[in-house]
Amino acid sequence: MVLCIIALPVFLFLSLFSAKYRPLARRAIDCVFKKVTLRKCETGLDDELKAASIAGIMKLHAPSATFVNKHFEAFSLIFTILMILSFVFTAQGIYNFAVYGNCNGPEGGFCIYNGLQNPAFLKAPGSLDGITAGNATAKIVVIEFGCYSCPYTKAAEDGVLKMLNDYNDQVYFVFKPFPIPTHPYSMEAAIAASCANEGEKYWPYREALFGNQSYVHDKGDVALLDIAHQLNVSGFDSCYAQKKFASFIAQTQKEGQDCGIYGTPTFFVNGKPFVGQNAVNQTDAEIQKLLGSA
Amino acid sequence: MALDAEKIRADFPLLQTQKIVYFDSACTTLKPRAVIDAERKYYEEMSGCAGRSAHTLAKRTDEAFVGAREKIAKFVGAKADEVIFTKNTTEALNLVIRSFDYSQRKKIVTTQLEHHSALLPIMEQQRRGVAKMELLKTNSDGTFDESSIVSTIDRSTALVVVHHTTNTTGMRSPLERIIKIAHENGAAVLVDGAQGVPHSKVDFRKLGADFLAFSGHKMLGPTGIGCLVGKTEALEKLDTYIVGGETIETVKLNEVKWKKAPKRFEAGIQNYAGAIGLGAACDYLSKIGMQNVEEHEKKMGKKLIEAIQSISGSTIYGTSDSTKRSSLCSFNLNKVPHHQVALMCDSLSKIALRSGTFCAQPAMESLGAPNGAVRASLYLYNTEKEIETFRETLGKIAKLG
Repeated sequence: MVLCIIALPVFLFLSLFSAKYRPLARRAIDCVFKKVTLRKCETGLDDELKAASIAGIMKLHAPSATFVNKHFEAFSLIFTILMILSFVFTAQGIYNFAVYGNCNGPEGGFCIYNGLQNPAFLKAPGSLDGITAGNATAKIVVIEFGCYSCPYTKAAEDGVLKMLNDYNDQVYFVFKPFPIPTHPYSMEAAIAASCANEGEKYWPYREALFGNQSYVHDKGDVALLDIAHQLNVSGFDSCYAQKKFASFIAQTQKEGQDCGIYGTPTFFVNGKPFVGQNAVNQTDAEIQKLLGSA
Repeated sequence: MALDAEKIRADFPLLQTQKIVYFDSACTTLKPRAVIDAERKYYEEMSGCAGRSAHTLAKRTDEAFVGAREKIAKFVGAKADEVIFTKNTTEALNLVIRSFDYSQRKKIVTTQLEHHSALLPIMEQQRRGVAKMELLKTNSDGTFDESSIVSTIDRSTALVVVHHTTNTTGMRSPLERIIKIAHENGAAVLVDGAQGVPHSKVDFRKLGADFLAFSGHKMLGPTGIGCLVGKTEALEKLDTYIVGGETIETVKLNEVKWKKAPKRFEAGIQNYAGAIGLGAACDYLSKIGMQNVEEHEKKMGKKLIEAIQSISGSTIYGTSDSTKRSSLCSFNLNKVPHHQVALMCDSLSKIALRSGTFCAQPAMESLGAPNGAVRASLYLYNTEKEIETFRETLGKIAKLG
């Protein structure tokens, strides 16, 4: 019976934390070994697991218990295959996480392991290159790594605008575009926003990008150009067509990777990192703390 | 007066604290409060060494220990010095089979239906070349081939080892006939009473066997205590088994003078608490009356067989005549493995059953269940209501096939 194959990793894992699972793990090992060597499992573990499963189902719905009992081997096999596949994907994710810092590999995107990363280990960027706002001589420097196509960066935007409004001359704000490849047209949006910055319409364009994120996701270049035309951004078409700021975006992207950025938005307040959707509120609290102690 | 199982259940703490249906009494029984209290009393009020030290605690222990031996002897119709304390039936059987004198006769007659505890020591003696095993013929329904008793037990037979009641079918062996023929041929008889003494009135003197082995824990007593009952003359013929403190009168480096039985076989500090507990179990059963216990079990056994027979696809091992068996029944359900049946009974209705080959693989093979079966074994605390719960649960499980 293949059920022991599923039980083995479960009991092995549980036995790391509790001695009572170790005999079960040993029985599962013996059972798997016998199974692999085409012998009958004699520990009785497979019978116990089957009986417990069928009894559990029977308490809920007797006909289902009969069905599962009749096809138990098939169900076991399906679950075993699913478990093996999940192990393969998990191993692939761990490998990608170790090599690329994201379980999806070089493409990036949402990764469940991101929580394992401690923002304290993020390295603050060495330059202030980026799209800036506020007082360049202010003692507080806030750097944001963000993606125009990222819903979390969009969600933080109100906080960013409030911060710029509330602290005005007391803060120097630097936005470093960090397009996430899995987000549709993220690189194009970053280039377009830089063209809008050159045309002195950066903040309206930025607002429009976040406000029309799904439009950009759906239409790409058409949407980016349409927004620029509505805002009358001068020189936008040629700037965008030449991908004039592609190298700048590549530079901020490389800078972000060097800093260990694993998700957007990521804020640095005088070098102290804050990551994720709530990061902008933490940023605000940090600014208040710095202003209070000044 | 008939036994009132509902009233008896109040004496068993486990039945009061846990909602279980305990059908595994052939493995071990539940313990009444009287037994638990007796054992605790030893540790709380005595805790000494019987027959050695002379202080108050030791004397108290000695009195209780001697008293327990007398109670047990009375319970099985033997004299106190015919009762030897052992760990269990297994040790008692080993003691006789290994210490018996095979110098004149080498044949040990037994049956395929015996528990491993009887079969294995015989097989070991055969392997060592000390004795030779020969089997009485038994049928696939667990009955004996009468003609084989006469043809197998002969003048070369040293010892006949046979069960009182089997742990696989609950059927009794034709003990009286076997003992008669064995004695006519000058052979001794060792009776495995593990499943007999707890469930029926067994009188050692009337039975006429030379040795009787049984366990305490299968008759409401504690685990770790059992008895070998032997006729004085038969015990004296046995060689020493485990030797040590308290087994001797005197020791010189070139000479040992052994004590008489039972002391000769009780080396070292004994399980006083266990013996006192077993004495209390004998008191408890005597108070209820073994006749009443047997009648109750006959009634429950009939209901049990009827319940299992009512399940479609069930196979009962041994005779289906409930009058010829105790309240023990081994069975299988068609297409549902025995372990699964037992485990599911526990999961669904907290019914405690045994599954497997019950330490009797050759017996199960001869009964037609070499891979095992499910066993329900009842005792004086079981009720008809519990059998009904068992029947309903079994019915649900049978539908899985």
